[in-house]
Amino acid sequence: MATETLPDDRALRVGRRERVLAQMAVRDLDLLVLGRQANVRYVSGTPQLWVAGTRPFGPICVLERATGEIHLNSTWDEGVPEEIGRERLYGLSWSPLTLTEVLKGFEASATACRVGTDSLSPTFAELLPQAFPNAQLVDGEPAMRAARRIKTDEEIVALRQAVGVAGTALVAAVGELAPGSREQSLVGALMEAMTAAGVSTPATQNGAWVTSREHPWRRARDDGRIQPGDLVAFAAGALADGYVGEVGRTAVAGDEPLGARGLFGRSKSLTERLFAACRPGAPAADLLDAYQRAGAALPPMPVAHGLGMGFDPPVVSAELPRSVADTTLEAGMVLAVTGYVWQEGIGAVFTRDAVHVTEGGPVLLTSSQGDK
Amino acid sequence: MTAFSIPDEPERGRMYREVVARLRAAMADHGVDALILLMNGHVSYATGASWPLLDGGLCHIERPVAVVLADDEHPHVFLPFREGAAAELQVPTDHRHRAVYLEFEDGVESFVRRAEALIRPGAVVAVDELTGAMRRSGSRLFADTSIDAAVVVGAAQLVKTPDEMACIRRACRITEEAVVDVQEALAPGVRQIDLSAQFVRRAFELGATSNMLDAIWQVMPSSRAAGVWTTHGDLALPLLTTDRALEQGDVLWTDASITYGGYCSDFGRTWIVGDEPTARQQDQYRLWQHILDAVLAVTRAGATSGDLARAAMAANGGRKPWLPHFYLGHGIGTYPAEAPMIGTDLGAEYDDSFVFPAGMALVLEPVVFEDGTGGYRSEEIVIITEDGYQPLTDYPYTPYGD
Repeated sequence: MATETLPDDRALRVGRRERVLAQMAVRDLDLLVLGRQANVRYVSGTPQLWVAGTRPFGPICVLERATGEIHLNSTWDEGVPEEIGRERLYGLSWSPLTLTEVLKGFEASATACRVGTDSLSPTFAELLPQAFPNAQLVDGEPAMRAARRIKTDEEIVALRQAVGVAGTALVAAVGELAPGSREQSLVGALMEAMTAAGVSTPATQNGAWVTSREHPWRRARDDGRIQPGDLVAFAAGALADGYVGEVGRTAVAGDEPLGARGLFGRSKSLTERLFAACRPGAPAADLLDAYQRAGAALPPMPVAHGLGMGFDPPVVSAELPRSVADTTLEAGMVLAVTGYVWQEGIGAVFTRDAVHVTEGGPVLLTSSQGDK
Repeated sequence: MTAFSIPDEPERGRMYREVVARLRAAMADHGVDALILLMNGHVSYATGASWPLLDGGLCHIERPVAVVLADDEHPHVFLPFREGAAAELQVPTDHRHRAVYLEFEDGVESFVRRAEALIRPGAVVAVDELTGAMRRSGSRLFADTSIDAAVVVGAAQLVKTPDEMACIRRACRITEEAVVDVQEALAPGVRQIDLSAQFVRRAFELGATSNMLDAIWQVMPSSRAAGVWTTHGDLALPLLTTDRALEQGDVLWTDASITYGGYCSDFGRTWIVGDEPTARQQDQYRLWQHILDAVLAVTRAGATSGDLARAAMAANGGRKPWLPHFYLGHGIGTYPAEAPMIGTDLGAEYDDSFVFPAGMALVLEPVVFEDGTGGYRSEEIVIITEDGYQPLTDYPYTPYGD
């Protein structure tokens, strides 16, 4: 982490913007109006204040295809790349009407025919037609997803760093695991280590939990107190320079209970099958099949999702059969791959790894740190 | 006599029942039969569920969704694993459903099938967000954009029940207790990010569910001219935390927020690194206190945002004691900043027509800044009562104060 707030590196910014502009051309979008944090950063290259959770849609960043010009909702220029320039900043506003007027004032707004937004609120669904009187308002998120899906070389470096910080945080939290410790203290240790390593913005905050011996995924107990023989899941998520790194591991508190070794063995065999499924040209459904071939029940969460700025497609879940069937893995994707095996009387072994799909095969971005 | 009796710990079941009753009353007022809620703070409010929040970029892959019906005393909630495993839930088991994926066409189709079984044909439905896949689906459930569900939820959220006040106060106490250690660690050479690391550790240990905000430890410039360039020429705030090492005499404006039981805290104080305030710096604090006192003197049920803004300006020699891009104060609840926003570009008419009800939670955060002092900014949270206000926060003003 630097001692001042700087824009994202030029090569990163240029590479990402070129991908978005290409997608705008493919989809015939004159303007993109972006409200989602990850999309705004992807296009603008500007670090922004981190606030947890969903945010209501607002027009935070506008990209024009014809000129590549960017207008950004920022009251100051700290961290804003030079190519955006002070003259294309518009300050924070609390009034949707004010923001609509600002958009209306952009030179390209009057003539734009197709304007994409990455999300929408009912309020802005009513107001945006006033800003773009001659435009059809369409879904712009598919263009952003298509752009974000395949990573540039510079992005792989950034993702590796994010995953590295998440791994460091996870190791620190596992180091404090002992019978009698509390879930909340482990989460505190994880967050402290991640922050001390330079990332004060978590991607996930569910840090550590005791897996249930009675139910495949429910909370084991309400007091968060860790007992001997508990299988404790650790999930670290770091948002480093805008990129999400996620790592998951499971560790035993105190002495290993009978049967745990076998369960960890099944987890290892499952994750090996999952990694092997991350090949260019392979159907995404292979990741679901890996569970079946390993003799494990599908977990109560997606088996994989793309990593980048925020989430990227594909999201591989049995709940999304058509999306999964339509998806083929491609070189340049990075997936957070989740392993989850549960056995009654013992608990669950949870793993999450970042896998880079390359022509040469799957490349693990997660180090082996934190492995049992 | 009119003070609220706020329990030390919230009673979650009672809070859930009272909040759902408020929400359904607001639905009746707005002529809405069903709400489909996607925003984390709205789902948390409507269902009483609280979970560790994800980054904004991840939290829409699979997210908790609530369906609130005017004629059902319990909302339905669709919960992903991360949240389902961690959440404290109030809704009965027959109203809990597995995750939905509203970013994808097949995910929306599956949700529509399940929601249409709950929402009768012809019902007036309001949503708070429309993903692209929802817009493309053509479903009757998402067709009406004339009412934003955020407006309906916002109307209910304005008045807090005593258990909601207890959640906010507990969140504030966790934050303040965590900050005590951070403030003690303040010294030349300590990095901004070291303060953040210490803060999050303590906050989670003390029971925080989520960190809400990348904590701010902004070093104030010696003058407006020496500060970061802004569109309005006034101060930039908040500027992001970095690896920067603090120096003797740095004036810090701090800001932190966590959640407890789904409700947010808000903490703000001005600190000086390794030094005592000068006479001019003390004067800044006294002016800030004078403004706060003047605002609190007119704070009561029936007052308007405009009344508070005018009292603040009068106490500050006719100038606004807040930054042009911000506010004198704001509400707080499941979001760190809820309505009303006092003194913003929403305009004087908005401020004058916003009448405070008893039971509203209000964060007051005037700022003063004179070149050469680093200025002064702190935040206090109060509950509006019939004849005044009831403070929720009481963190000391050290090193300032008499």
